[in-house]
Amino acid sequence: MAGTTGMSGSVRERLRLVVVALDDSVPGIRSLVLADAGGAPLPPFTPGSHVVLEVPAGPPGSARPRPTANAYSLTGENAHPLDYRISVLRAREGGGSAWVHDLAVGDRVTALGPRSGFAPVQRAAKHLLLGAGIGVTPLVSHLRSAVRWGRDAELVHLHRSGAGAHAADLAELAARGARVTTVTDRESFTALLDDLLRTQPFGTHLYCCGPAGFMELVTAAAARSGWPASRVHTESFGVEALDPGAPFQVAVAGRTVEVPAGTSLLEALEDAGLAVPNLCRQGVCGECRVSVTVPEGGRLVHRDLYLDDDEKRAGRCAMACVSRALPTSGAAADLEVHL
Amino acid sequence: MIRLESSSVPTWAIAPEVGTLDQRGRTFSLVVIGDPGSRHLPAARAIAEAWTAQLAARPAGAVVHRELPAEAAVAVLTADLHRALVGHRILLTGTARDCLAVRAAVLAAGAEDDEVVIGVVDATERTVWCVHCAATTVTTAALEGETSCSGCSRRLVVHPHVSRRTGHHLGYMADAEEQPWSWPEPRA
Ligand code: FES
Repeated sequence: MAGTTGMSGSVRERLRLVVVALDDSVPGIRSLVLADAGGAPLPPFTPGSHVVLEVPAGPPGSARPRPTANAYSLTGENAHPLDYRISVLRAREGGGSAWVHDLAVGDRVTALGPRSGFAPVQRAAKHLLLGAGIGVTPLVSHLRSAVRWGRDAELVHLHRSGAGAHAADLAELAARGARVTTVTDRESFTALLDDLLRTQPFGTHLYCCGPAGFMELVTAAAARSGWPASRVHTESFGVEALDPGAPFQVAVAGRTVEVPAGTSLLEALEDAGLAVPNLCRQGVCGECRVSVTVPEGGRLVHRDLYLDDDEKRAGRCAMACVSRALPTSGAAADLEVHL
Repeated sequence: MIRLESSSVPTWAIAPEVGTLDQRGRTFSLVVIGDPGSRHLPAARAIAEAWTAQLAARPAGAVVHRELPAEAAVAVLTADLHRALVGHRILLTGTARDCLAVRAAVLAAGAEDDEVVIGVVDATERTVWCVHCAATTVTTAALEGETSCSGCSRRLVVHPHVSRRTGHHLGYMADAEEQPWSWPEPRA
């Protein structure tokens, strides 16, 4: 099912995992410890990586009529992991996160990964980590690795008052020398932000993860404070974070299909009666991968978290659920899709 | 054929070009690079003045303006970056050869490409590093042209590749594929 369909690109490992521990101590957030079902060690990962959990369909008539998949950042040890740790905010009822919140110790889950899309920059003189709410999760593994290797790192976590996600992990890393600041209201964070961004040693890289509004706040403040784009790294999950894009046309199966703004290529193909296998519909699982040809003067905008940089540069395949073509002038179609 | 979009040779190292200043920078190190008396200095000073004019509204001390030979420029910029905060930009103007050399040092000191703005006044000379003997040769040969190595006297092709670490162009023996490779005769 998930994996490749014989096209170019590496096969992502599909892992059979079992839930070995659960922690529900933070309201609305569940932390899980997952181990290999056969007791084998798990693949190492770059800090900031995520795994993609396959979420089965709910019972007929439920809010989740079809299987799906969600990406979750890994928060534990990355070099020789004995288990994978993730934390999941309970979002929409009936969605993938609600399913995770209903799991019990001993339940089996299938995961794809790990995938890295938010790695620390090796040459950075310092790592400044800014997270809001559950968005702190990829930064926990960044901070863990920085502490382990003696790299300069500072983390600021904005969350609602009460216990924040990973407060215990962060306290432990702070005890081992990391600088950790916790802020529980947006005003205090905003007040602190400009000062923070204007006092970082040259060579610092900034990593930011949280809701869209938080990321806009931070990236705008960074630009205002003179940060060049190369030093600012953001991580966002979910299709809400993607803009609707411009309409474009694809040549597929001997016809032309219009993809309007706000409609995905996957939806447009489905509306045209062309079936494409899919699972997550948010660019993380790789299931909807299609072969494409970009016409002369055309451009493909990938936007997925599945393909690696080389595969994206090659431009021979795309994730129909999130990737788009930019409208070209002149060409008969802006993208050719081979099903 | 030289395919510029895939080449490590910046366009300003092929023909003179002045980069666009990033107004978001908060502080700036501006260096006119050149030996005293160099015939390229007046043109470089003019570029520096145009940049300074664009930054005229900055508070005092935000722009540090100097004129130095390449080696001295490397030393002061390395010291600047050691003390600098994120938001700092480096503005370099001079010949392509000097700008490549100083840029290499600035990148080694932790700068990113989008923090360095280059204004080139002349791009006729380049430094070529010989892959056979590791000597460097200053030449006016064009990219893919030939020059004689100052170290081993081989005829070198100036390859369209610039090392980010040194700012040198890569040079290797002309017709290297056709000739059996051998060590050069030791020079007297
Ligand atoms: S359906 Fe998962 S990447 Fe498109």
